[in-house]
Amino acid sequence: MLTNLVALIAVATFGQSDGFTQKTIAQAYAQAVPATCVISYTAEVNNPGTGQTAKREGSAFGLVVSASGLVMAPGHMSYENAEASNITVEVDQGDRRCEYSARLLSKPEDINVCFLQLESDKKLSLPHVRFTQSGLNLGDPILMIGVLGDSLDNTRAVATSRVAAVLEKPRTTYCLDSSMKIGFIGGPVFDASGHAVGVVGFDLTNSEGGDMYTRSGHPLLYQASLFQKYINAPPDENAGSAADAWLGVFGQPLTDDFAEYWNLEKDGGLIVSTVIPGSPADTAGITSGDVIRRFNGVDVRPKVDAEVIGFTRLVRDTGIGKTVHVELLRNGEPMKAEVTLVARPKPARDASEYTDDVLGMTVRELTADVRILLNLSEDVNGVIVRRVRSGGAAALAGMKPGIIILRLGDKAISSLEEYQDAMKNLAQQRPGEITAFCRAGAATGFLRIEPNWGEPAPKTESAIAN
Amino acid sequence: MLKRLIPLLAVTLITGCATLGGGSQSMVIRAKDKVVPALVHVRPVKEVYTSGTREEVAVLGSGFLITGDGYVVTNEHVAGEARQVRCVLYNQDEVDAEVTGIDPYTDIAVLKLKTDRTNLPHVKLGDSSKIKQGQTVLAMGSPHGLSRSVSEGIISVTDRYLPDTGDDKVSPFNTWIQTDAAINQGNSGGPLVNTNGEVIGINARMLANAQNVGFAIPINVAREVIEQIIKNGRVSRSWIGETLQPMTAKTNDPNQKGVVIADLDPASPGYEAGLHPGDILLALNGKPLNARFEEDLPAVRKAIADMPVGAEVTLTVSRNGETKDVAVTTIERSQLRGQQAEFKEWAFTGVDLTPILARQAQLPLGRGVLVTGTQVGGIADSAHLDTNDIILRVDGTDVAGVDGLKNILKPIIESGKRLVMLEVKRGALTRFVLVKQESEPQAQAAGSNMTEGESGLVD
Repeated sequence: MLTNLVALIAVATFGQSDGFTQKTIAQAYAQAVPATCVISYTAEVNNPGTGQTAKREGSAFGLVVSASGLVMAPGHMSYENAEASNITVEVDQGDRRCEYSARLLSKPEDINVCFLQLESDKKLSLPHVRFTQSGLNLGDPILMIGVLGDSLDNTRAVATSRVAAVLEKPRTTYCLDSSMKIGFIGGPVFDASGHAVGVVGFDLTNSEGGDMYTRSGHPLLYQASLFQKYINAPPDENAGSAADAWLGVFGQPLTDDFAEYWNLEKDGGLIVSTVIPGSPADTAGITSGDVIRRFNGVDVRPKVDAEVIGFTRLVRDTGIGKTVHVELLRNGEPMKAEVTLVARPKPARDASEYTDDVLGMTVRELTADVRILLNLSEDVNGVIVRRVRSGGAAALAGMKPGIIILRLGDKAISSLEEYQDAMKNLAQQRPGEITAFCRAGAATGFLRIEPNWGEPAPKTESAIAN
Repeated sequence: MLKRLIPLLAVTLITGCATLGGGSQSMVIRAKDKVVPALVHVRPVKEVYTSGTREEVAVLGSGFLITGDGYVVTNEHVAGEARQVRCVLYNQDEVDAEVTGIDPYTDIAVLKLKTDRTNLPHVKLGDSSKIKQGQTVLAMGSPHGLSRSVSEGIISVTDRYLPDTGDDKVSPFNTWIQTDAAINQGNSGGPLVNTNGEVIGINARMLANAQNVGFAIPINVAREVIEQIIKNGRVSRSWIGETLQPMTAKTNDPNQKGVVIADLDPASPGYEAGLHPGDILLALNGKPLNARFEEDLPAVRKAIADMPVGAEVTLTVSRNGETKDVAVTTIERSQLRGQQAEFKEWAFTGVDLTPILARQAQLPLGRGVLVTGTQVGGIADSAHLDTNDIILRVDGTDVAGVDGLKNILKPIIESGKRLVMLEVKRGALTRFVLVKQESEPQAQAAGSNMTEGESGLVD
């Protein structure tokens, strides 16, 4: 109580309710602004419901984080249904603003930020922000630098706030005041001593590809420890993230009530609720109802939902091909299983697509996550329709995004390659109609498509008549 | 220009006069006079189970007497699931009725008035196979509850096909009479009448956000259903597991006869007999089946449904150009909707899975209960049992439908056992749901709030 009182008096003496002196603010501003940039890009947004793609202009506030031109930007530049292209970065270098083109690097999976590499003929040596890793506490004052809108000539601005909440699970981050202005998203955050400690961020919602425990809808402070590794070793744009190891179970925390019901110790565990057929867990004989207590020598003790993702991360980082011991309880009896982990199946957002100009649609390979989402049994093979071009042959036949194509003509389709081969063969025969055997929901049916093979150019008169 | 306009006007005037002054209007009035005394204003109280509890909802609809001793025809969506039905007759007499039977597939319900009278005014049923596009018709009933209303129009289309949108609103076994006679909410179950005063249809649908696009069930389809309901209390149909598409789904060639098998339920006699999606069905017991266009599908579906349940039928199919006969033993088609129930103690409602739902969930038929709603703060809701969860097991015992679940839960609820384990299917995943059957924690919480009033305020 007494220490609290002293601190309060100290602040009062400074006469600064936000905890910053004008001098600290001016120093942080002078240090950070030359490293700030405004990113303009074209966002191609796909509506998964209608399959229509729309282009719009996007802009974001970014931060130069290395002398050679690595830029960190808000993750919303790239998410499940949106992709950025034609990227221009305008860096504020005090008296002048320099424009660079930039390429987007592959997006980290565990934090909603993007990295861009500025492109330049000569070696860049840019002013950049260096982050300090420091712990933050509830109520700590923070200073942010952001950008005012286009109408105010993108002038940089400051704002102060406090850490509104400390979020613990599944990883520590910090909540900011929800009245955050949009121009501050992606901007640097300074602590009371004037050190850059993180950036303002926003988690993805579920529909944007965020996982179950993202904190969408609320501005966050991503502290430096979450992203420093990507500054030290920028993610490669081509290699993609290294494949994660995968066990193939869905789980629930062993709450005290579950422990009581099953007569188990009330110290947590992972209840296996679903085992994916054919997964390493399935092969090792792990079944629904088993309780995992130890994995590869590490205790597994989730007691609340948010802790389950910790197990997912533990598995993910264990390594593909590695054989590990799993200790579990089955009907209360301790058991051991040996599991050889495999690479996590490719998620839908990384799935290959093929755009078929003849039928006017884009199809995508069926990934394991889509199979689970649509509750498809193992024997369903095909490609899933991703987009249908309005007015195209497929659209006229009633094709819709989400329909799974099982056969084209008399050819069974089980992969993107087989789809392309089938269309290649059909292109040689140029039939007037193609029957697609499809699956929508749990039912199957036929769609008769009249393909547009690109007839010879029509005569001038008929073109006019049309 | 002027010359051409005048004759047109004259013609219009003459035909106008003829219509107004001639026999047409008296025909309409005569037709109306024959039917209006048989009109019934139907006021059922329906049981609805969607929000985690059993609710009673009063609805309004139309109907008409078909016999002197009090059989009334209306729509299933009016009187189905009704706990009680009050009927208001033409002379404003209020008479209670019991539901004799329903047929959700055709949306027809038959009621029997609780009366000893045998001389009630009733309608004459016409022949809907003789209707003509453009002929004058009258729609009668209680639009928006305004009983004994009559509106006039023509038949816009005699055989409109309404594609299945998956929401139980479309009859697979009939096309519809489309009319521009004004039909509104409340007209449901009322008669569509020709100028002879004969009922040719039962008004049942209208197109939302459109003007005067109404649909009636053809009376010939209804007559068979009504007769079966009066005789057996229900309608029985055969099923072989087929979903059909018109030939145009595969080819535009008019010479190709038959109907396309688009899908087969994996748990059906047709599947077991070796039928495949893509087979062209050519004949049923030697009788040709043809559906080039969608409009032709209901008749084919009906031909299959009309086979006796449990009979072996011979289907002639064409596969890859080869024609062969396949013997299939039909089974009874399941009801359109599953049985519903309220689980009051746990504050949730559930329904039996229909074959379609079972297939979507990849479950064998007869397994599980689909949760249709939970009440906020109830035991099921507190355990995070969700709408659309399918309850598969309770404390390790398999659940077979609503009745089975009731039997399993009865002793569990009576015993007051603290923890009950449910295994549910949620989408493609299974999940354990632990139900806490105690009211003590709530009582404790209330107690602590009372003793520590201030901390209660802080919360």
